[in-house]
Amino acid sequence: MSSPVKVICALGSPYSHSVEAALCLKGVPYELIREELSNKSELLLKHNPVHKKVPVLLHGDHAVCESLVIVEYVDEAFDGPPLMPTDPYDRAMARFWADFMQNKLLELFWLAHWTEGEVQKRFAKEAKENLTLLEVQLRGKRFFGGDTVGYIDIACCVLAPWLSVLEEVTGVIVVDESEYPALRQWEKEYNSYDALKPCLPDRDQLVAYFTENKERYKMFANA
Amino acid sequence: MATAGGEVTCVDFWANGFGMRARIALRELGVAFRYVEEDLRSGDRSELVRRMNPVHRSIPILIHGGRPVCGSVNILEYVDETWGNDGGPRLLPRDPLQRAHARFWADFVDQKVFSTQTRFLKSKGAEKEAAKEELLDQLRRLEEVLGDKTFLAGDEFGFLDAVLIPFSSMFHGYEQHGGFSLETECPSLMRWVRRCKERDSVKSVLPDEDEMYELHKKWYGISE
Repeated sequence: MSSPVKVICALGSPYSHSVEAALCLKGVPYELIREELSNKSELLLKHNPVHKKVPVLLHGDHAVCESLVIVEYVDEAFDGPPLMPTDPYDRAMARFWADFMQNKLLELFWLAHWTEGEVQKRFAKEAKENLTLLEVQLRGKRFFGGDTVGYIDIACCVLAPWLSVLEEVTGVIVVDESEYPALRQWEKEYNSYDALKPCLPDRDQLVAYFTENKERYKMFANA
Repeated sequence: MATAGGEVTCVDFWANGFGMRARIALRELGVAFRYVEEDLRSGDRSELVRRMNPVHRSIPILIHGGRPVCGSVNILEYVDETWGNDGGPRLLPRDPLQRAHARFWADFVDQKVFSTQTRFLKSKGAEKEAAKEELLDQLRRLEEVLGDKTFLAGDEFGFLDAVLIPFSSMFHGYEQHGGFSLETECPSLMRWVRRCKERDSVKSVLPDEDEMYELHKKWYGISE
């Protein structure tokens, strides 16, 4: 019998969601421990002393930190449909695009929604150039890996549940449907994927959260 | 030796710490490869780099059977999965939790140590002092990861050792720049460095430390 799995997470965090998505897709039951990031718990600080961030996966006595590291761990430690491709070259491509999303595009995408004026225009231009690269990767496919949600899709999750929420709260449109039809279709597919239903964030809750924290996000973005 | 699936080329620059990881890994697993030098001192990237890594235009790039793999940690994983499974040496352990720990600390080196050391080398005065303390803290954390072990993840040289050892070619530079001795600050890490340097793979790849520091002084505009 496998040890219990818990996820220390935070509302509104796409990184936390990626871990939940991986667990859902593998069919692993888990418990959520919701963290208030303004008042970090002893549990979080104990299990992620290096970064003090969510998400953290607790598997029995062991802690795993950093969302993509956790996703690969979940893929390797548990049975269930594979999240990563089997061929080494395809795996290298999956890691490449996940790294691209998380370390290059994500910040640009985020700032393009939360900033204003000339600054916003600059971020939007850069974000769009990078979004185009993803759009090309997706063309002709339902998901980045093919017919099922996999590693790259999970790494790109901020472009699914969060996209329309950010657009609604900030009034900014960056991922124009006419310019990125494949990405917008992928967004719909991700948001309606059966196996993800148990862990997809509640849209109203996300809207309420980002509306409530709008000034704070804008302040961080403009710093 | 092992070259399953076509010719192997590594595009890199002699002083690129990220590329040293790839070249050390290939040698560790006995993979014959062609080395193509990209001179990072020139402003423009070559046609080869622009074609093989259009997204980032960075090196190292591993080209296997004509197909590029980009990103140093990505290359380590690919090299391990392609050549490390046949009963010979491998870079990552088999156990998922140990693999997760190795990947976590590799990410720590990339997210934290690299940016801190760059800031330390480029800054002056109070900012430099602060960056120096942060860098030493980070190296001490890695010393804790090492603990009593021979290598960072156990008895065998592996993934995390390949990730960190290239930074040691700048240790002499850090000491000169910061006025400290790593033998004093991180003695067991320095013993680990010496153990790694006994290996042919590391010895043949790590550049001369004085040359590394001279090059970085030019790159970062370090005057003293």
